[in-house]
Amino acid sequence: MPGKSSVRTITEQARQIKVCREADVVVVGGGPGGIGSAIAAARSGADTVLIERYGHLGGMATGGLVNIIPNLSDISGKQHLFGLNQEIIDRMDARGGASYPKKEHWGTTDKKLVNYYHDTGLDWFYIRHDYNIGKERVLYTAVVDPEIFKDELNDMVQEAGVDLWLHSWGTRPIMEGSTVKGVFFESKSGRQAILGKVVIDATGDGDIFVEAGAEFDGELDNKHRTAWLAFTFWLADVDIRKYDDFKATHAEKYEELMQELAKLGGYSHFFKGVLKNQHNVIWYHCFQPQPESSDAKDVRELTQVDIIGRKRALVTYEFMKKYVPGFENSFIMQTAPQLGLQGGRRVIGEYTLTDRDMESDEVHEDTIVVLANNDNGEISARHPTICVPYRCLVPKKVDGLLVACRAFSSSDSVNQHFNIIPHCIAYGQAAGTAAAMAVEAGIQPRKVDYKELHNNLVKQNVMLPGVK
Amino acid sequence: MKTIKESARETKVCREADVVVVGGGPGGIGAAVSAARNGADTVLIERYGHLGGMGTGGLVTIIPLLTDIFGKQQIVSITQEWIDRLDAREAVDYPKKEHWGSADKDIVKYYFERSFFYTRLDRVIYAAIIDAEISKVILNEMVEEAGVKTYLHSWGTEPIMEGNTCKGVIFESKSGRQAVLGKVVIDSTGDGDLLPYAGIEFEDNIPPNFRIANLALCFWVDGVDVEKAEDFRKNNPEKFGELARKCMEAGGFPGFFRSLLKNQESIVWCHNRYPNKSQIDVEELTRVEFEGRKKMMITYDFWKKNLPGFEKSFIVLSCPQLGTRSSRRLIGEYKLTKKDLADNQPFEDTIAIFPDLDRGQESLDHPLMYIPYRSLLPKNVDNMFVACRAFSSDEHVQEWFNLIPHCIAFGEAAGTASAMALQAGVGIKDVDMKALQKKLASQGVPLPDVTKKVDYKYTGPPLVSTSPFTLH
Repeated sequence: MPGKSSVRTITEQARQIKVCREADVVVVGGGPGGIGSAIAAARSGADTVLIERYGHLGGMATGGLVNIIPNLSDISGKQHLFGLNQEIIDRMDARGGASYPKKEHWGTTDKKLVNYYHDTGLDWFYIRHDYNIGKERVLYTAVVDPEIFKDELNDMVQEAGVDLWLHSWGTRPIMEGSTVKGVFFESKSGRQAILGKVVIDATGDGDIFVEAGAEFDGELDNKHRTAWLAFTFWLADVDIRKYDDFKATHAEKYEELMQELAKLGGYSHFFKGVLKNQHNVIWYHCFQPQPESSDAKDVRELTQVDIIGRKRALVTYEFMKKYVPGFENSFIMQTAPQLGLQGGRRVIGEYTLTDRDMESDEVHEDTIVVLANNDNGEISARHPTICVPYRCLVPKKVDGLLVACRAFSSSDSVNQHFNIIPHCIAYGQAAGTAAAMAVEAGIQPRKVDYKELHNNLVKQNVMLPGVK
Repeated sequence: MKTIKESARETKVCREADVVVVGGGPGGIGAAVSAARNGADTVLIERYGHLGGMGTGGLVTIIPLLTDIFGKQQIVSITQEWIDRLDAREAVDYPKKEHWGSADKDIVKYYFERSFFYTRLDRVIYAAIIDAEISKVILNEMVEEAGVKTYLHSWGTEPIMEGNTCKGVIFESKSGRQAVLGKVVIDSTGDGDLLPYAGIEFEDNIPPNFRIANLALCFWVDGVDVEKAEDFRKNNPEKFGELARKCMEAGGFPGFFRSLLKNQESIVWCHNRYPNKSQIDVEELTRVEFEGRKKMMITYDFWKKNLPGFEKSFIVLSCPQLGTRSSRRLIGEYKLTKKDLADNQPFEDTIAIFPDLDRGQESLDHPLMYIPYRSLLPKNVDNMFVACRAFSSDEHVQEWFNLIPHCIAFGEAAGTASAMALQAGVGIKDVDMKALQKKLASQGVPLPDVTKKVDYKYTGPPLVSTSPFTLH
């Protein structure tokens, strides 16, 4: 009884769907973008609903086990991302749930410190080569405890007065012409609708803007990080000291073993857990190589990645345990509940950030955040920052909608550098603030006054120097 | 009630199959593996990125109640296969086979101290503590080897109905809204999510003092010096009691289980209970997630500060899936009720036998629960099974027989029957019962001789231990 693949369709009849809530701002997705959006909108006075598919907030930062908030400073050590990002780190710090280089070490070229971060395996997050001085320097990057983070984010949205709906999957916009009027969502309560004056698509993948009729670009270049999926897992009870000793004294043997592991389909690279009391924990962030046709939104492919990722995690674990000193008593403590997606659809907004912007000194009048431009080698040396305009969050043709997640308007090549956790939090903070302003003024988000938005963001401790 | 009109739409049919199973928890695994192994082209749709439901994502990593009071294993087949595969990877713990059913005081004491799940009714029983992560891989392997086509990250939400026939299922995923068509549809959603849309009769009353009335947000703490903690608990019962009381007053949970798995000596589990209005009300689910996470932090902070052994501990993880215990229950062709809890006769269409162990003297008088095929069948739909905790039962039967091994057994019967019905070209309600029972027996399912009347009376010693246990 073989299965048939098919392009046929079935007709779903028109029907009445229960409207369970009417709000000013409806945010779809509780990852970094959605959190920024919901908190900012609610704090700005909007009646705000946040819909999240899983039972926790934080997206990749918690459920994806990518519990790293990197690139908060530029290569020289100057911090650019403040606002909600810094507030989150401060609050996590107060609970003993954050770890980051001391302020006086940001930008340092001190060999001992640089080596320390190399040794954690987390070099990509902590260290950049500064072409201006020809040396490696330490960045301001924070690591957070995912479990404490989940609770802290709950606290933050609750304190802001956000109405949160967990275990709720926002799937389809409610349209009136080309204006978004709300969303349909699925949950254990069945299919329901929430109406809103502004909807913020913070789904990461632009799940809402597609059916809203927004133009988008889905192209992903295989050479870019964004084209890869990650299967993340943690091992616990690893004797790191023993492992380090072995690696130092048996470098060749270790190299051989790692080659053997790679042949078996395992992963050799891991990060050392740098959180308090987690010194026997290590993190594997395993990239899955994808074919040229890769599409992170294809559920068949997601399924395959998950199945293969899980298999390779077990191969890695069993191999390390058997052959590598220090791993004798280790166990897989968890695999990420959420698969690690790194890129996908990107809306075509009123402004699209492209390669040109990475080399430009232009300061847009609607700049909503200044980001450290750390990943472009010599270009970064010349242009340590990039300004992101509000227009990148505003779809060209659709009203009532903002996009505040990695699906913001950008070319693939730019997106790969500026679509990670702190960036999305910043986009969200701007989108939420703008959405509340639009509701208050009774206008479309694209008509929001840039100057006023600027002032409101500065009031929230977002640093926008040089913006007129 | 305010509503909004959702316009008609064409939804893409992404696949046509023989059997469509919605939900990859214990019921769905039993159903999908059995249907595929028996030759049906089978699709399995799972909301999360892993299989196992409560057994993995819910951190309820226990397959309990496998032997009866006589020490005979009654739940075998796919459940045992899961355990065997874990065993091969040293990722499971259970009482030694020669001790199952033992009433030897020392042996019972040993297992009683080892785990809450290892003794019942003054006897050692067979129950398995499983590794959640290794289980996820093993379950993937089992469905893959059986040839099941699995859709992960896919939320099956609505049946496609044509009169009394269910033609398939609509599901949501990152690929958008799509449909899978099937000849038989199996609802293994745990909550009977397909029932209301299919117009199938169900009930959802649960008395508030029942175990199943509670949600759970299980979490694990690592870095614990468990020996130190256990010594303290044992040697300072009064002090521990005082601390437990204080912990509760602060809003935390004082109880924890130790993980018995190899290399997880430094881990303890906190299983807990959250009363709620309904486990299928999204507002309640959200509220309990908030409350649960808050209480988790209170519990952890309290333990770490006050309990010897917890000084260097940290929260490893909270369950990705909220712990649900019961919601909708099918009102099917046969509804198991309180009356059946006292009846010792098998049904003619028995498809599984469950050890009855949690009800004290009543369990001794009635050691086996027989499950009829009809308790999986809706009345007014012809080609759908309910193979999960939403099987047709009143709240009393539901309270005791809706756990992981039970659901695997429901699934195995439904999946096997689906494939046989399709092969024979008959409806699932017309499947040859003797042939189905023979098939299930050949797969390792213990079944009774339904032609014989059971003459049973408990004649053993009176019960010593306090029962029932209702913690899990």
